[in-house]
Amino acid sequence: MKYLFPRQPWDRALVAILVALFSGFCIFTPGFYDGFHGTLAITEEFLPFGFVALGLSVVILTGGIDLSVGSISGLAAVIMAILIKSYGLNTWLAVLLAIGAGGGLGWLNGQIITRLRVEPLIATLSTNFIYSSIAIALAGASPPYGFGPAFGELGTGALAGWVPVQLVIFIVLAIGFSGLITRTGYGRRLVMIGYNRDAAHYAGVSVASVERRAYCISGIMAAFAGIVLASYYDAVRADMGDILLLTSITMVVLGGISIFGGEGGILGVTLAVMILGVLRQGMLIAGFSDMVTTMLIGAILLSSIAIKNLFSSRGFDLGSIIRRLSSLRPPERMAPRS
Amino acid sequence: MSRTSGLLAAAGIDKRFGANSVLRNVSLSLAPGEVHTLMGENGAGKSTLFRILAGIHQPDAGQISLDGAALDLRNPSAAYGHGIYLVPQEPALLKELSVAENMFLGMLPTRGRFPSRIDWKTIRGQAQDALSALGLDVDVRDDAKHLSIAQQQLVECAKALLRGCRIILFDEPTSPLTGREVGILFAIMRRLRGQGCTLGFISHRMEEVSEISDRVSVLRDGAVTDEVGRDGFDRARLVRAMVGREVIFDRRRVRREAQGEPVLSVRGLAHAPVFSGVDFDVRPGEILGFSGLIGSGRTEIAEAVCGLRAKSGGSVMLAGRDISTSSIGDIIEAGLVYVPEDRARHGVILPMSIRDNATAGQIGRLQRKSGILNRGREIAIANDTMHRYQVRARGIDQPAGQLSGGNQQKIVFGKWMSTNPKVAILDEPTRGVDVGAKDEIYRLIEELSAQGMAIVVISSELEELIVLCDRVIAIYGGKIAAELKGADVTAARVGAAFLGAEAH
Repeated sequence: MKYLFPRQPWDRALVAILVALFSGFCIFTPGFYDGFHGTLAITEEFLPFGFVALGLSVVILTGGIDLSVGSISGLAAVIMAILIKSYGLNTWLAVLLAIGAGGGLGWLNGQIITRLRVEPLIATLSTNFIYSSIAIALAGASPPYGFGPAFGELGTGALAGWVPVQLVIFIVLAIGFSGLITRTGYGRRLVMIGYNRDAAHYAGVSVASVERRAYCISGIMAAFAGIVLASYYDAVRADMGDILLLTSITMVVLGGISIFGGEGGILGVTLAVMILGVLRQGMLIAGFSDMVTTMLIGAILLSSIAIKNLFSSRGFDLGSIIRRLSSLRPPERMAPRS
Repeated sequence: MSRTSGLLAAAGIDKRFGANSVLRNVSLSLAPGEVHTLMGENGAGKSTLFRILAGIHQPDAGQISLDGAALDLRNPSAAYGHGIYLVPQEPALLKELSVAENMFLGMLPTRGRFPSRIDWKTIRGQAQDALSALGLDVDVRDDAKHLSIAQQQLVECAKALLRGCRIILFDEPTSPLTGREVGILFAIMRRLRGQGCTLGFISHRMEEVSEISDRVSVLRDGAVTDEVGRDGFDRARLVRAMVGREVIFDRRRVRREAQGEPVLSVRGLAHAPVFSGVDFDVRPGEILGFSGLIGSGRTEIAEAVCGLRAKSGGSVMLAGRDISTSSIGDIIEAGLVYVPEDRARHGVILPMSIRDNATAGQIGRLQRKSGILNRGREIAIANDTMHRYQVRARGIDQPAGQLSGGNQQKIVFGKWMSTNPKVAILDEPTRGVDVGAKDEIYRLIEELSAQGMAIVVISSELEELIVLCDRVIAIYGGKIAAELKGADVTAARVGAAFLGAEAH
């Protein structure tokens, strides 16, 4: 139990928020609490956001951002649907290819960012438009639907009749990502880059290669989320992923991962996934429109960044002072011009 | 323009930055019609003293007075009010604004009541006049970014005159200038001196100091160690005052002539216009010194050797293997490490733990086939680093940012040394660490060298080079200007080479 309970103050606060939010909806929103199994079933509604958030965490840990996750989800789902419907490919093979395509699109983001040296924000904003246009063009006027009951199990199935398949996959992936970040050499390099890109470079870390892989991972997770959505709805739409971006970024940032990189962990992100998921579903059941929820999530994103910034200026006293001083120091001069 | 400035005097100035005592009971007086030069090693407190006189820093103790009247210089504009102006080491012009706008920054004259308009005509006229008075021929409408560093310094000078300042402090103005530009600057300084201005000057270069100064004060470790007038100039005396503690020179009586094949061999390394034609060898067990002023190209050369910076030509051989085109990771793996000068930016990752920092140079080696890090070995390396370098910390999980500068430097040291390099290039290994930690670092360097590691020490501290090195190469203007070995490694010879005097 000692190890299960979060030790970071931020994570503890998230647990408290989650408990309060959940209890609040249970008490004040009739129809929200539908037994233990019903509560588990709610997770199916929001875990696709969580899959995107896991991949996005890796990118944000490097100090980057991926705004193209929504369009990658849509495009991957459309690609899968076309492979199944137009080319008659085996469903699971099509799923694998679509996830691979997501990885490829993420890899392309990484190439643009590291080789062409375009700011991640601009690079992925641009590819977001490019990918989503391609998705719309490929999908055509009447996108395919109906992929069979076996495929539907991914989004709506439940093990033993009550544990949603999505939840099982999410838990496995969250543990996997947590291990990736805290236990592997790749994760260590990722965090080093996020905290201090130059120092990582001087220590022999191939910064560009680590970053490219991060965007690739983000693309894969976005594609997977798109496929889960396709399974859940048993249909695809090119713009299906559009709602993913705001909520997933908020999940990552509320989860305690610093938008400047380096700081944070998957436990917090997982808690934030649950918080925002419960919030979305609770608001929906309570009868609020999607607009209200979106507004609220925007406000949460803003305030979690603001709180984090205010905290960190007090938190790492010495560190931030030294960093500030070091950035004020004039750069070494070049040799005299002759 | 003929009224003289008063006598600016600082008495008993103390200044601390955090735990670091920068100035201790420093007294200095700048007389009108004189160029008063401050000399001293990097970190001796010269710039800080000027910044206090210019109202940028506030002293913790002591008084500043002008003609006997105490001044309260709480900010730079208070200093302007008393006619004191500091021309900073890096001219602080706003690059995107015109020269005229820069000169009138903060005091743009306006015309008309409401809405008042900026009086461009007056600005341009006065700015142009001020520059012509200094003999600087630039169009004041031009953007400041088009000016050379030398021109920017003169614009700063004109700015001072426009503000009616008659006490002008130059913080190491000549280090980025060419010889001809230095000549122009000196001509202007002489003219200002002739007009009764008080001039403060900082320089490392002996020839310049003896050429322009009427009076020289030497600072060492935050205290004035000597002050001489024009007739008392003596190179040896000034060097002694700058370096001090002559006893420490004796520490290493035996300079070994290292035998054996060079382990690192650099030929024809070039990256125009920063450095060119750099050839040198280092042998196992040898400590080679790289001396040179900041800006001489020494850091750039080291970074190019270690694959951290582009080079346009030349070869680097490490233990018989060509590593000219290898990646940094491969170079570290092959046994060549560079311990960077700027610890906070390049050396240590402050928010990460001691363990993460100590193992950061060898993540690849700590990875199992699965990619998972071997935690046991990580802990062993971190504990070993803590123990071997006597790092004072709570434990290996403490963030590096909570440690003192000296202890951070030890972690950085340990991080590279635990990769078992054949050659280590140490860039200013004792910069920003206190005297005690300095001694420990010297001891470590000697220990590693005794174990057969080839070590290159880059330093602008004379003392450090004399104490540590078997052989010293002086870099001047991106080229190897002199090489000293054996009995030639003396304070006088290294000092001269360092300032470019031995360049042929």
